Amino acid sequence: MNGTLTAQDPAVAAQGRRPGRPRVLLAPITVTPSKPLTPSHLKGLLWTDVMYRASSGLADVTYRYSPTTYHLTEQTLGFWEYLDRTVGDADYSGLSEEQVGEMYVGYRARQEKAGAAALRPYAEAVETHGWVHPAGARVLELWTAHYARLGMHDPGLLAHQPPALGAEESVERLSALGFCLDLRACGGPVYLDATRYGLPLRQIVDSHGRPNYLACMMRELLPLAPSFDEVVLLYDRELEADYHLVERVLVATGTTVRRVVLGRVPIDGRIRSARHGGWQGHTVDALLDEVGEGCDEAVLRLGMRLYFIAVLGTGQQQSFRKDVLRQSLARATRLLSDGRSPDPAAVPEVLARHRKDHLHVNPYRLTAGLLARHRPAPPRDLLEAVYL
Amino acid sequence: MIISQQLLRAENARRVRDVRPELAARVDLLTDEGLLAAREEVAAASEDPKVLAVCVLRGFDLPAWLGETYAFARRVGHEAAAAWRHDFTRTVFLAGNPVNLRERFDFDHVADDGSTAWLGPAPAEHSTALRRLLKLFPATAELPALPGTVVELPADGPAGDRAPVHRELYLATAGLTIAACLVHLHHLVSEAVLDGLLGPGDRLTLRPVPHLVGVTGPFAALRIGTSHGQPHQLRAYAALSAGRTA
Repeated sequence: MNGTLTAQDPAVAAQGRRPGRPRVLLAPITVTPSKPLTPSHLKGLLWTDVMYRASSGLADVTYRYSPTTYHLTEQTLGFWEYLDRTVGDADYSGLSEEQVGEMYVGYRARQEKAGAAALRPYAEAVETHGWVHPAGARVLELWTAHYARLGMHDPGLLAHQPPALGAEESVERLSALGFCLDLRACGGPVYLDATRYGLPLRQIVDSHGRPNYLACMMRELLPLAPSFDEVVLLYDRELEADYHLVERVLVATGTTVRRVVLGRVPIDGRIRSARHGGWQGHTVDALLDEVGEGCDEAVLRLGMRLYFIAVLGTGQQQSFRKDVLRQSLARATRLLSDGRSPDPAAVPEVLARHRKDHLHVNPYRLTAGLLARHRPAPPRDLLEAVYL
Repeated sequence: MIISQQLLRAENARRVRDVRPELAARVDLLTDEGLLAAREEVAAASEDPKVLAVCVLRGFDLPAWLGETYAFARRVGHEAAAAWRHDFTRTVFLAGNPVNLRERFDFDHVADDGSTAWLGPAPAEHSTALRRLLKLFPATAELPALPGTVVELPADGPAGDRAPVHRELYLATAGLTIAACLVHLHHLVSEAVLDGLLGPGDRLTLRPVPHLVGVTGPFAALRIGTSHGQPHQLRAYAALSAGRTA
């Protein structure tokens, strides 16, 4: 495995490469560290983790997940400014994700928005020395523990991973590619313009100069993507239109792009955004406490992946069900103590069966294959490499 | 010549009478009540216009845009012009890059440098797809300081029965946004072209002033609107002077 890229120089990206192996970049949507992780988030994280670890058996894979890049969005900076204004100097180090999340729900419920001037010191602190508000740092610290317990590769949640391009440079790069409509000189916003492909204009910087997540993503991916043979974008279904735009831009840089769209996990039939709350009792923290209690570590890790990947699939038809999750844990127990003779094929060979015409391994096909009856048991080293 | 409320009302009534004689017959446009009633009716109709033009801009360069507006209006045929006038030469201004749109949309006029383009005037549904793809041109930005530039209109055809003339184009800039500037000047210039007041080889001197106060006429055309926050007050937002030999 190749770990996280902390510098964006293509030469650095090439370091540690094994000759002849293709280079793959996994770039999932990041979760804003201002609320608890929910089953929907966990699904995306487990899918990415399995894709990363499985694909690493066949390719040099970089898993790019930089909270630093997205701190600059208005929703994050605005929350931090709100906390400082309303809570003041508090000790966040003992707070739970849920407690920070309650504050975030309070912030989102407020009508008034902080002006661009109020957010500027926050943007500057993030931009110049990687500052993170203690509330955000606390949530990322708690998530790091969840990652460790679930055996997920930590792509650098606590690391300072700035994007390689500055805000202005990325607008210039977009303009050079013919994808930018910049109306700042007329007091207007900056749009991502893929209208030549029939896609509507999409604002990425508002008329006060504040970037949204797409502007941040451009700073990160425009310089990074071209040094890979394949870039895989993983994201929520709600962001489909945006990611079609991102794909068009990256393809124009000569990049091969694969989009993997994941449905959310409804709770009692409803899909809710975490910003509105409603996650009480259904956070990853609560789930691990309840389901993970007394559970063998390997069983927990494999069972979670069986449920969130093979049982739920890419869609969002099935509501979250703890009883079905427990069944998956039971399946994991059986798989781990399977008396059947294991698949004699070498791990790369097993992985390659689930790659189809692309360079990354499809997590659904690989994981659903573990559950298939009348097949040899999965080799133990495959489980170790990908699931445990 | 003083641009009095009386003059503005008379000119406003004349325009409504030309465009919507049935409306002008029903209300007395010289009274406060008649003015308001007509305004509401016209505003309601403009919510759902039958015919409109769409102007796509990727930036704001007023002198160049004036020349292109002229060139666009010159291409509007008699029939389309009549239908468009009935909807008060309604035009929607959209932010977009015509260069990226030319393959998908058959524009009626595109600037040589691709900075601006027009679709229509045509039935509204003709431009639905374009309007869905783009956003309205930013509405709130204040007008930047404008130069008193001379715009030379292209000699794009026979001058007809008159020699080229030189006119002053006054623009009242106090409180004006870029978007409002586009609206006022587009009405004034395109209608002046349809009326034959602007033609090949004419020259326009752009004269930005806070209000059209102390500006001596005579005027060939006025662009009149309601004064901001004063529904009974009319204001001249732009004016085209009578021509003198260029």
